[in-house]
Amino acid sequence: MTEHSLWRLSHALHRAINERHFDPLAELIDDDIDWAIYGPIDMFPFLGARLGKEAVLDAIRQIADHVRIRKLERETLMLGDSTAATMVRCAMTTQHSDKPITTRLAQFLQFRAGKLARLRILIDTFDLVEQTLGHPIDLPRIGSFA
Amino acid sequence: MIEHINKQRVRKLLEAHAAGDFDAVLAHCSEDIEHFASAPIDIFPHLGRRVGKAEVRQMWEMTRSRYADVRHEIKTMICEGDQVAADLRIFLRKRDNDRIVQYDLAAFYTLRDGRISRIREIMDTFDLVQQVLECDLGRLLIAGTARP
Repeated sequence: MTEHSLWRLSHALHRAINERHFDPLAELIDDDIDWAIYGPIDMFPFLGARLGKEAVLDAIRQIADHVRIRKLERETLMLGDSTAATMVRCAMTTQHSDKPITTRLAQFLQFRAGKLARLRILIDTFDLVEQTLGHPIDLPRIGSFA
Repeated sequence: MIEHINKQRVRKLLEAHAAGDFDAVLAHCSEDIEHFASAPIDIFPHLGRRVGKAEVRQMWEMTRSRYADVRHEIKTMICEGDQVAADLRIFLRKRDNDRIVQYDLAAFYTLRDGRISRIREIMDTFDLVQQVLECDLGRLLIAGTARP
């Protein structure tokens, strides 16, 4: 049975972020990749949408500049023929202050010929911003509430 | 094939939810349904963890009392065995001022005996809070007015 493309990609992505080994990851990314990590790009410029391998590798280099992954705990995993969905609890530290940050990510991945062709990541970004700031956000009492 | 059937079950649940037919939605759920959305509960007090049909219904009804014209687009749906994951685009209209709120939602469903027993949701909550409060939180944070 052939190994699912997710496993090689996960391993390479982890190494790219923590050890800055980008070449093995580059081999697993489709030239025309469609990539998006939803979140506030004013605060985290490495989030947002990217099209094409070079743009994605550049975003991953920026992520590696800012965080180091300490622990990944896969809570949910679904594998399709050329797709995968996971929910992961990720413990990180920031590169500059060593501040611990823990967040839960939802990932949807699509592969083409064994290479990552589409990625969507969703994060509870309000919590991520509060952890990064180191304090709760005191919201303005304007507008209508949920 | 069980994957195809379970995807259909989740699609029916989503369609009934969009229609506001919570009896039909809950008919697809187990009695001990657990729903958890990762979101700031001081802004979304009805979210957080809810267990059992009564609590989950109350949460959905609370949301529906504030939003109308709920609809969704399924961008991706993946299933393996008794688990289904959906990448959704959600559209809502605020009842108080008719503004449209739209956001992406990752929903993970666990099924047991053909019924949905667990729903976990993850969304870009920073963007959602901005849309709900109708303010640019990033700008407020930079200006320092949204800090304690």
